[in-house]
Amino acid sequence: MPEWTEEIRRRLAPLNLDPARESEIVEELSQHLDDRYEELRRKGMAEGAARDGALGELQEDAVLEHELRPVTHRMSPSIALGGTGGRRPWESLWHDVRFALRSFRTHPAFASVAVLTFGLGIGACTLIFSAVRGVIQRPLPFPEPGQLISFWGSAPEKGLPEVNSPTGLFVVYRDKTRLLSKVAAFSSDGATLTGAGLGDPERIVGATVSVEFFGVFGVTPQLGRTFVAGEEVRNGAPTFVVMSHSLWLRKFGGDSTMVGRAIAMNGQPVTVVGIMPAGFDYPNQAEYWVPEYMDANNFNCWCYQLVGRARPGITAADVSREMANITDDFAISRRDIFSEPKRGGSRVIAMPLADRIVGDLRRPLVVLLGAVALVLLIACANIANLVLVRAASRSQEIAVRCCLGAGPRRIAAQLLTESVLLSLAGALAGLILTFWGVHLLQQLPVDRFPRMNEVRVDPVVLAFSAAVAAITGLLCGVAPAIQMSRVDLQHAIKAGARGSKSGSHRRLSDGFVVTQFALSLVLLVGAGLLLRSYRHLSGLDLGYRPENVLVGRISLPFPRYDTSVVVRTFYNSLAERVRAIPGVSDVGIASRVPLTRGNPQNNVVAEGRESRPGEPVLVANVRIVSPEYFRAIGTPLLEGRVFEATDDERSLRVAVVDEALAKHFWPNESAIGKRVRYGNSDTSSGRWLTVVGVVRNVKHNSLDEQTDLQLYESFGRQATWSNYLVVRSTSSPELLATSIRAEIKALDSALPLYDVHTMQNAVRGSLAIRRLVNVLLGSFALAALLLAAIGIYGVISLSVSGRVREFGIRMALGAQTGDVRGLVLRHGVLLAAAGVAIGIASAAYLTRYLQRLLFGVAPVDWATFGVVALVLTATALLASYLPARRATRADPVLALRSE
Amino acid sequence: MIHREMKKGSAELLILALIEHQPRHGYELCKLIESRSKGVLTFHVASLYPLLYRLEKRDLIEGRWVEKAGQRRRRYYRITAEGKQVLSSQRKSWKDFMAAINRVAGVSHA
Repeated sequence: MPEWTEEIRRRLAPLNLDPARESEIVEELSQHLDDRYEELRRKGMAEGAARDGALGELQEDAVLEHELRPVTHRMSPSIALGGTGGRRPWESLWHDVRFALRSFRTHPAFASVAVLTFGLGIGACTLIFSAVRGVIQRPLPFPEPGQLISFWGSAPEKGLPEVNSPTGLFVVYRDKTRLLSKVAAFSSDGATLTGAGLGDPERIVGATVSVEFFGVFGVTPQLGRTFVAGEEVRNGAPTFVVMSHSLWLRKFGGDSTMVGRAIAMNGQPVTVVGIMPAGFDYPNQAEYWVPEYMDANNFNCWCYQLVGRARPGITAADVSREMANITDDFAISRRDIFSEPKRGGSRVIAMPLADRIVGDLRRPLVVLLGAVALVLLIACANIANLVLVRAASRSQEIAVRCCLGAGPRRIAAQLLTESVLLSLAGALAGLILTFWGVHLLQQLPVDRFPRMNEVRVDPVVLAFSAAVAAITGLLCGVAPAIQMSRVDLQHAIKAGARGSKSGSHRRLSDGFVVTQFALSLVLLVGAGLLLRSYRHLSGLDLGYRPENVLVGRISLPFPRYDTSVVVRTFYNSLAERVRAIPGVSDVGIASRVPLTRGNPQNNVVAEGRESRPGEPVLVANVRIVSPEYFRAIGTPLLEGRVFEATDDERSLRVAVVDEALAKHFWPNESAIGKRVRYGNSDTSSGRWLTVVGVVRNVKHNSLDEQTDLQLYESFGRQATWSNYLVVRSTSSPELLATSIRAEIKALDSALPLYDVHTMQNAVRGSLAIRRLVNVLLGSFALAALLLAAIGIYGVISLSVSGRVREFGIRMALGAQTGDVRGLVLRHGVLLAAAGVAIGIASAAYLTRYLQRLLFGVAPVDWATFGVVALVLTATALLASYLPARRATRADPVLALRSE
Repeated sequence: MIHREMKKGSAELLILALIEHQPRHGYELCKLIESRSKGVLTFHVASLYPLLYRLEKRDLIEGRWVEKAGQRRRRYYRITAEGKQVLSSQRKSWKDFMAAINRVAGVSHA
């Protein structure tokens, strides 16, 4: 018997086996070669030939080594291709993860496109969510914030959607309510802060409050105390003040001995009784609070806002009903104050304070969150298509795995692992976008974007991002996973290597594209409608020319300026001085200018046009303005004249009205010479105002409000203590503020100029929320369009490469390039058309939720729908054209040979 | 080429099937495959034993030295419970696979 050991050992040598293992192998293989040798000898072979024959079993030198290496060294089990092999779930998960990472390394383009798409989608989604959470969802920083209810009266029939309360009515509410444990009244206020070491006089914003105010919020001061009964102001200057944390730090350096000391507000000493904790700045970033006496008999100034703390279990709707009943009862008992009261005649609106604060921002945010979710869905459809395409090109690999015993669940798990890994990586990348966006949102002005400064990336936001990533990852992976785990072996063997798609794959891909187009249409229509609203609003006739107009407010402290003569003298000489500043063309004085806070209104009755019982009395905005005001702000005179210097206390009391008021009372005749008066009851002849001029309508609060009626009175007759200086310049007006301040200082060094802004900025600012929504929604819609274009391009390209043979045959049989091109384009356009049709139906339903954000355009605006449908179809045509051109370049011979 | 690929894919199945009911040693396996396939499939030392070691490492088969009187000792392989599971699942897959191939072949020749 020949000796085999040497031969075998020589072949095993490169493996460096463990000696015991090596000798076992040598023994087993020797045995085999012995058997073979004996067999060959039995068949009559010569010794030499039989030996060579047996050694032939070992084949070339390297074969044995090559085959044994994976077994004897770190053998990798064939789990990747086969069944679980009895592994525990986490082991196969770990394996799937490693396998996925390996495959991303070998297909970096696929992985980066997917991560980028996920990143944009999830990042944008997380950003909007963080805004929604910061602004809407996060509770106000007070104990039991859900119990805080804000409420006010409403008389839409009089053009008064919101009516504040007089102190007399507040006292009634406070004494009668059963549902609110506490209720408080407050009104915005401003004061000029002066004092040694405090720098220039500064105007600070605060509130006059009833003593219950801090109790309602349940917030205790950081230092000192809040107000007690008896400290309230009764006619005159306040003597006690509570300071905000920010004012305390800003102006007094956080001096802990401030409590008990006096500061100078409006030139009067006021004692600081307490300092509130950081973050308490209700209402409107208030920096101080002074107590106001709530006179049960005062019904003159309907200027107090109300807030209460509801007892547990009480809703805003309950409060609304209770307050309406209390108002009815009171109105019926006080016919001297309320005209024609009746049961059920009062309307009180109540809502959680948080909703009241957020106000106009809530709906846009919800709309944006919906929009961004749509973008994410579109992105998902794109990625699902990518995964599907990739899975299809791996169908042979998957078929082999199936043959080797991998169950459908293993295959599906592998594919799902891949897509979830991609989405998690995308979420991480998206966080960059989120952090950057949140930083930008925090910079937005808080007075226009309430609570936006509270937006943070907190653990909840991070958890949201992770959850969205997991869900979208599964969403993108599940369809391909189901598809591929049902891999059709027959098809896989036949076509797997070509990577073409089966009918069901193609149907699924087509479905994704249709979905994308439908969702994109919804987004584009939404963006289009908002854009049209914005254009309507910005193209609106404001009734004045905001260009080159600077406004600023000056308030004169009361006893120092004690009579209207003194007040008028001050403002007139200031106007005179400002007029002399180079570059100034007109200077006007007005008690209010458009787009500023506060809007004094009054009932207005025309002579001979008194409203009959039961008819609503007209309410108009009342403004006290100087003769030059109309020229300064740029409101054109339509009829008659504006005020003159002679319209003073000695002359006839005159008024200028806007065209809406003129048309209301005197629809078919001239208003000039007609007489109006305030209120409902007083008819003494001295109260009549004679209309001398009609001017253009002006919108006061916002550009999208219903046109208000305006009545102007002459500053020469009705001076007010707080007025805006309206300065029109020949060039950019921002630079004038310093010169104006210098002129004020020359007249009175203790007076600050505040609320200084250009009218153009005011107009821009009033559209700020709309602009932000437009920019965001517009970018989402564009992203959607781009994704849809990429999606349809991918699907059509793939379908073209799968049909190269078909096109080859068609062209061989005489089809023209145009025919083939048309065939491909038709596929693209059909998909787009299906998407557009579904999209139009969905958009027609969904745009109703935009209604309140729209201006001058209907939710179902067919022009917008039509343009968007055209844009989408054109996009589909364009995206399909490139693959279509490729299809026609197919050389019939090559195409057929490629089979 | 195809022949070799097919052999590679099916080798595990063949070995598991042959030791399903009784333990066998390497040479015996070689001979059985060759005779039952009427010489179409053949295995050499260099490919058979690495495969056996691989299956052993995966706990699908178990090798044991057996000494018989008057003979050198031999290593016999028998199937494990896990091996039986894999065998039955592979049998089924191959059955489907073959059926599929048949259907495809049938279609393409028609």
